[in-house]
Amino acid sequence: MTVNESSGGIFKSLIASRITYVLAIIIALLAFLYFTRGLSIILTILIQVTIFSIITMSLNLESGYSGIPQFGRVAAVIAGAFAVGAIPGRIMAAFMGLPAGAEYASDTVNFRLVPEINTLLANSWLMSLGFLAMCLVIAALSGALIGWLISRPAIRLKEGYLGISMLAIGDFLMWVGHNWSIIVGGSVPVNVPDPFRMFGTNRFTVIVVVFFVIAVLIFVYLNKLTQSPFGRNLRMLRDNDLSAVAAGLDIVKVRTQCLVIGAAIAAIGGGLYVIYTGSVAAIGLTRLTFTFWPWAYMMLGGIGSNIGVFLGVILLTILRTMIIIFRSTWFGFLMAVGIDPLWLEFTLLGAVIIIVILFLPHGLVPEKIAPMLPSKRIKKVLADRQVVSG
Amino acid sequence: MAPWLSSGLVYASGLALTAGSITLLYIVTRTFNFAVASMATIGFYVAYSGVTLYGGLPYLYYPLVLIIGAITGVVCYYGLNRPLLYRKAAETTLMMSTLGYDLILLSVIQMYADFLTHSYKLFPRRVTMSLFDFELFGERAAAFILPIIAIAFLTILHIFLTKTKFGIAMRATIENPTLAGASGINSDRVYLVSWIISGGMAALGGSFIAMAMTGTPVMGMFIIPLMFAGAILGGLGNIYGGILGGMVIGLTEFAGVFILAQNFGPWVLGYRMGIPLFIMAATLLVFPRGLSGIPLAKIIRNLFRRKRGARA
Amino acid sequence: MLTVKNLNSGYGKLQVLYDLNINVPEKELTVIVGPNGAGKTTLLCSIMNIANVFSGEIIFGGEPLAGVVTHKLAQKGISYVPQMGNVFADLTVLDNLHMAGYMLSKAEVNDKSEQMTEIFPVLKAFIYRLAGTLSGGERRMLAIAMGLMKNPKLMLLDELSTDLAPIIAERVMVEIARMRDELGITILLVEQMAKRALEIGDTAYLLVSGEVRYSGKADSLLHEPELCSMYLGIKQASGKDADTKLSVLGEGSENS
Repeated sequence: MTVNESSGGIFKSLIASRITYVLAIIIALLAFLYFTRGLSIILTILIQVTIFSIITMSLNLESGYSGIPQFGRVAAVIAGAFAVGAIPGRIMAAFMGLPAGAEYASDTVNFRLVPEINTLLANSWLMSLGFLAMCLVIAALSGALIGWLISRPAIRLKEGYLGISMLAIGDFLMWVGHNWSIIVGGSVPVNVPDPFRMFGTNRFTVIVVVFFVIAVLIFVYLNKLTQSPFGRNLRMLRDNDLSAVAAGLDIVKVRTQCLVIGAAIAAIGGGLYVIYTGSVAAIGLTRLTFTFWPWAYMMLGGIGSNIGVFLGVILLTILRTMIIIFRSTWFGFLMAVGIDPLWLEFTLLGAVIIIVILFLPHGLVPEKIAPMLPSKRIKKVLADRQVVSG
Repeated sequence: MAPWLSSGLVYASGLALTAGSITLLYIVTRTFNFAVASMATIGFYVAYSGVTLYGGLPYLYYPLVLIIGAITGVVCYYGLNRPLLYRKAAETTLMMSTLGYDLILLSVIQMYADFLTHSYKLFPRRVTMSLFDFELFGERAAAFILPIIAIAFLTILHIFLTKTKFGIAMRATIENPTLAGASGINSDRVYLVSWIISGGMAALGGSFIAMAMTGTPVMGMFIIPLMFAGAILGGLGNIYGGILGGMVIGLTEFAGVFILAQNFGPWVLGYRMGIPLFIMAATLLVFPRGLSGIPLAKIIRNLFRRKRGARA
Repeated sequence: MLTVKNLNSGYGKLQVLYDLNINVPEKELTVIVGPNGAGKTTLLCSIMNIANVFSGEIIFGGEPLAGVVTHKLAQKGISYVPQMGNVFADLTVLDNLHMAGYMLSKAEVNDKSEQMTEIFPVLKAFIYRLAGTLSGGERRMLAIAMGLMKNPKLMLLDELSTDLAPIIAERVMVEIARMRDELGITILLVEQMAKRALEIGDTAYLLVSGEVRYSGKADSLLHEPELCSMYLGIKQASGKDADTKLSVLGEGSENS
């Protein structure tokens, strides 16, 4: 008993010290960026961190906790982005008596419409808040819908087949958005009304705070979810689906629920992303950015650990940003032969994936297998049972 | 030849090779190879560089394409796949590892394209490889030559797998690695050879595909869902199934787009990727194990039996 | 010829065998019997380096085998016939034989496969058929022939009689005894059909829950009533007619 406890203690302190080191590195890098480039770069990083934390947490729910090879994360992100690009703006336009049909998304109309909506939103904080809430709800609903639709044919497929099918669906959705201009303008990006317009120059700061609050809420929700019996079912499914079936688990139902919840959360991430950028360019919603990068974040952070996800996102986002910022000063030797150092972002992504798989298979923060209930409650339940049976 | 058929044949031969490459690697090592995307693009750039820097026809550089594709395969095997196979990694881990390799290759390709632009004043980001082709019987020669090369390649592969000692050993390892090991077959060597063959196939397929569509650094990344669709359509059970699946995907995409665009207008072109994916989904609904799951022999036997029954 | 010393092994983190000591003398038939889950197959897998060996020594012909890759073991003259999947179903019988003799020269392979078809005439008739289409008994014959193809010094045979009809199983047993007597091959046989195996075997080990419970003369294990009834399901009465059975076997092997 004592041996177990002490080894557990060592394990815990090892992880804790690792988290401290990573946090120290992150803070040092952020401080460095702050003193060389100013606050705006920190805000940009933080906004990206919150958005990608949300998307990666949803991926973690599906792939980390339940073992579904979700290689089509971008599909749900696209659903959220398209929904926020297409629906709330139209509702506002209809509300204001402006054209809200197919012509809403056409580039000649859209660039005059959206500023009008923005003026209205800028004048009323209530309206802005309502608009933001509407965006989130619509994004989550459309995400849940697409998650359910994808789960229908895909859920019965096995590992690799499932992953590839979802990847193909994600790609296909992107092409639909790019070509069918009615949704989000096709190849000409549609603008999204901005609920943060009223804050003027403080817009980014407010976005950071609001997005962060949303991310924390989702974090808390997911923590509750994975500690619940549902979370236990998911892990059971991941570790051995055959014995999960034998134990009476309805695989299709559990997996569908998991895909729907995950997709809804990822869609919120996609919605927030387009609110932040202010426009929806379908061609920019690639599997590279919204499937593969989240996978890298999750693998670096630690599959099945949401704290790890946060660390992974923030560390890699800082590194990505640094490549972009310092490309001319650090990688001048590449530019001398005409090579754009921006491609190093791909190298970084690939290298992170490979290094993590080969040398850090459990990531920075390994999954903590905790009992589902606190031991006190288990004892209490057992005691109650004995009383009843006695 | 119908206008879609000549490009369609070229494209389908390319997809057949890449889908075959994916299938071969999957049945030997249980690895879904994402890196096929970049390997294919590398194949295209090897042929492109040869043609633009040293002249001649693209076909002359195909041996080099095979060699360089094989090298990328060997690097991936020793650097990544081998340690993971010995660790008995999960299928998803194997898949992710090749994705990492693919992204590194992609960055190398992008840098190489930049380098070509800067040092040789070329335009390697939008390439029409068919411009370097010649005419044969009033058609582009590629429409005849590439299917022939593909068939020759596959014939050699078939002879290798069925007639040579090492080829049979490969099939033995695919079927039963434990027994093969106990028989003295070095599975390490089998894995290495399958990476060499599949790397070569992927690169060759990529250089074929570039003859039918615009060659870009992200060409492979763009069509990898279709390569996988071909492999899955083939059932991932044997190489010939994968090749057939790639062929079907390629031809139906070109034929489907052509027919639909004639009837509904050119807007269909934007959704061309949907056609092969739809065909994949439809086939999997009817035959969950793909084309190779179709019990052809049984169907034929049943037909004969019915005839015999009718006679009696 | 083969000595296993203090072997601890299993799969992954799961330990199956505990401090196992086994000795297989040259040109003898050593039998390993025991109830299901005793670790009999794991022992063979540990020798072939398919299972994970945690500690202990495996010495073959004076040479330690720790960490030698499976295919190298085959080259050293150990041939392993697994219980399940012991033929390549998608290959023809001839290709199966050729694969089994993978590290022999071409002339040797041809000689050997000729010899095998003589020893097992069933195979000659089906030489170009896929191994997957053979019946259970024919497959076992092919599996044994594949084991013999390698000119083995030591053969590891895993439960060759399981799921065979009793008559066929008897024939397989007869063949095994003949291999020892006529070809002089050292054999380590793992067997569920404990009684027959103990009758033809020289030395026997009784394996229970990963530990050796009995070791010694094979037929004297048949005279241990407690062990026999507890672990092998053999009633004591049958111990007496063991000798008569053996003589029957002798005749059978000459006839076949």
